[in-house]
Amino acid sequence: MVAEVPWLWSGLGAYFAATLIAIWGVAPRFAGMPVIQNRRHEYAVLAFLMLGVTLLAVAIAERWLRIGHGPWISLFELLMSQLWSLGLIFVLLYWRLPGLRPSAVIVLPVMWILGSWVLTLEPAASHFPPTYYNAWKWVHVGLGKIFLALLLAGVGLAGVLILRHTRRGQAWFRNMPSNVIVDRLAWRFMMLALVFDSLMLIAGAVWAQDAWGRYWAWDPLETSAFLTWLLLAIGLHLRLSYRVPPVVSGLMIIGVFMLAFATYFGAPYISPAAHKGVV
Amino acid sequence: MRCRCLRVLQMLNFLRKFASLKIALLGMALLAIGAMLSYGNPLGTPVWVLVAPMALLAVNLVAAITTNPRINQQPGLLVFHVALLLLLLLATVGRLTHLDAHLELVVGTGFEADKLLEINAGPLHPGSFDSVHFVQGPYTVEYSPGMQRGLTHSHVKVKTAAGAWEGRIVGDDRPLVMDGYRFYTTFNKGFTSVLTWLPAGGAPVTGSVNMPSYPLFEYKQDNRWTPHGSNTEIKFWLQLKTAMNAEAHWVLDAASSSGVLIVTSGDKRYEVRLGEFVDLPQGRLRFEALTMWMGYRLFYDPTIQWLFFVAIMGILGLTHYFWKKINLQPWMDEKPDTIAEQAGKPLDGIGSPSSGKPSGNNAPVTTAYLTGEKH
Ligand code: HEM
Repeated sequence: MVAEVPWLWSGLGAYFAATLIAIWGVAPRFAGMPVIQNRRHEYAVLAFLMLGVTLLAVAIAERWLRIGHGPWISLFELLMSQLWSLGLIFVLLYWRLPGLRPSAVIVLPVMWILGSWVLTLEPAASHFPPTYYNAWKWVHVGLGKIFLALLLAGVGLAGVLILRHTRRGQAWFRNMPSNVIVDRLAWRFMMLALVFDSLMLIAGAVWAQDAWGRYWAWDPLETSAFLTWLLLAIGLHLRLSYRVPPVVSGLMIIGVFMLAFATYFGAPYISPAAHKGVV
Repeated sequence: MRCRCLRVLQMLNFLRKFASLKIALLGMALLAIGAMLSYGNPLGTPVWVLVAPMALLAVNLVAAITTNPRINQQPGLLVFHVALLLLLLLATVGRLTHLDAHLELVVGTGFEADKLLEINAGPLHPGSFDSVHFVQGPYTVEYSPGMQRGLTHSHVKVKTAAGAWEGRIVGDDRPLVMDGYRFYTTFNKGFTSVLTWLPAGGAPVTGSVNMPSYPLFEYKQDNRWTPHGSNTEIKFWLQLKTAMNAEAHWVLDAASSSGVLIVTSGDKRYEVRLGEFVDLPQGRLRFEALTMWMGYRLFYDPTIQWLFFVAIMGILGLTHYFWKKINLQPWMDEKPDTIAEQAGKPLDGIGSPSSGKPSGNNAPVTTAYLTGEKH
């Protein structure tokens, strides 16, 4: 077994514990109570998430030492590093904005899509292409991580807006603010996501200009990233033009996230010609 | 005076017709369709699928920026939307003036515009290479096990404005930039046989025969040439000895490579070593040198720095707007913050920001819970 795998497993184990506790925390045993008397479970979620982030950081560092470069190239590396950064940013939001904590029951299971996927992949060493020596990769990838994490936080709130249409959802999220506030918070995450998405596209264009001698060429990944950006803009303007019901608002956010997800983890691996920087 | 005011009012009214947010939404939807059709750059997709929605959005933006106070009275949002408009204009200028091309340059030879291949230039490209002078020097390319290409170091000599020759190393993401033209090394590079041809009764000529890209086409290092005034083709096959090793790190360079040229003319086959010559029916051929060629990608677009600057300005504007929005109305304020939230009315036309009643959803809320304040 290669060095990073035990750390990866333990990190995912910690995320799993956080997920279970988060679900237990909103479970209907509290139904009918006006306020949650005891929010101690949230500290346990926070602690397990922090532990998971730390263990994943060790896994990334171990792999870095083993293969000599950062988690930039293979799907295994990308998933591992996204699990770390999504976890890290969600921990910060979970800590600073207690009002959105119950939405962890949506956010953490979404992260499990990545968590279970990474477990199916081979941790084989990847090749570091010459175009990756460029310092813009740090800016591009860093901004992209913040963008996806903000979208994911939006998805958590979108899930609340949608699930509140069910009785179970109402019970789970009874202690969260009203739909007006959840919706606004979700779309503020989306606008902030737009800022980071735009910056990611700019940094990506600069890197592409350096790496391939063109800043934009409608390659599959660029097109998919542009469509995500455009869908975000459409969502923001739709809300300005029409009264969008909470469920539709939630579905729009999930739509943007799905497109971003396909861009990150689909486009570069479906098409061999997509820009992985490897030639 | 009255007449001029009237004209301005008429113009504003005219513009207002194009300022609708619904047109913006339509334009964005059409642009999304255009982008989907352009996915992966398929041959045969007309550029209009992108240009038409962009033109619609540009007109819509001009109209909205000039007539809609919700944009032009919020500085951050104004800067952001103006930046979007400028990006569209700059991209247009870029496409009209750009140049994309490829170039294969043999070590020891200089850049000349007529060596450019696959040229794709905008109709307004200035087209002058008068101040682009450089000579290709030797280069190296590193490879990792598994034939994975690593760094390229390409030495070039550049003629400065003062007329002196200056050495530079370019490669991968470090292009050679001269007079706005950017030359990028590519994976496409290989070996060259420098040959002197002494035709029977004619003057000698020295030229080079570029072999296919190496190591990509390592198995077929061949090419052919028909001497001037002859109709018999001469075939060349270069038998190379390089440091190539699929299982280890190795470096591709001319210094550690050697080769024998197999020359076939008609049904005769000759093995020619460096410095040797061969007598063919059409004349005498001498194998002068084994060297290399580098394939460059050439890119020219005078707008790229401006695109970057305007895009960053736009983001600063959006960030400013976002910041003000949060400060005006904290996250957990129950008051709706968009016109749509307030009354369900479309936003087209004029309205004042954040001046509505709370919406119907009045679920009790503990605001401190959201921000983490203590009760
Ligand atoms: C092309 C035509 C466009 C028009 C006519 C237009 C118009 C508008 C208008 C009228 C507003 C309302 C401002 C307010 O209520 O405070 C707005 C807001 C905004 N626009 Fe645009 N826009 C256009 C394109 C875009 C594009 C392509 C983007 C890219 C993402 C964009 C991003 C935004 C953002 C982020 C806001 C703020 C939304 C909010 O406060 O929720 N706009 N736009």
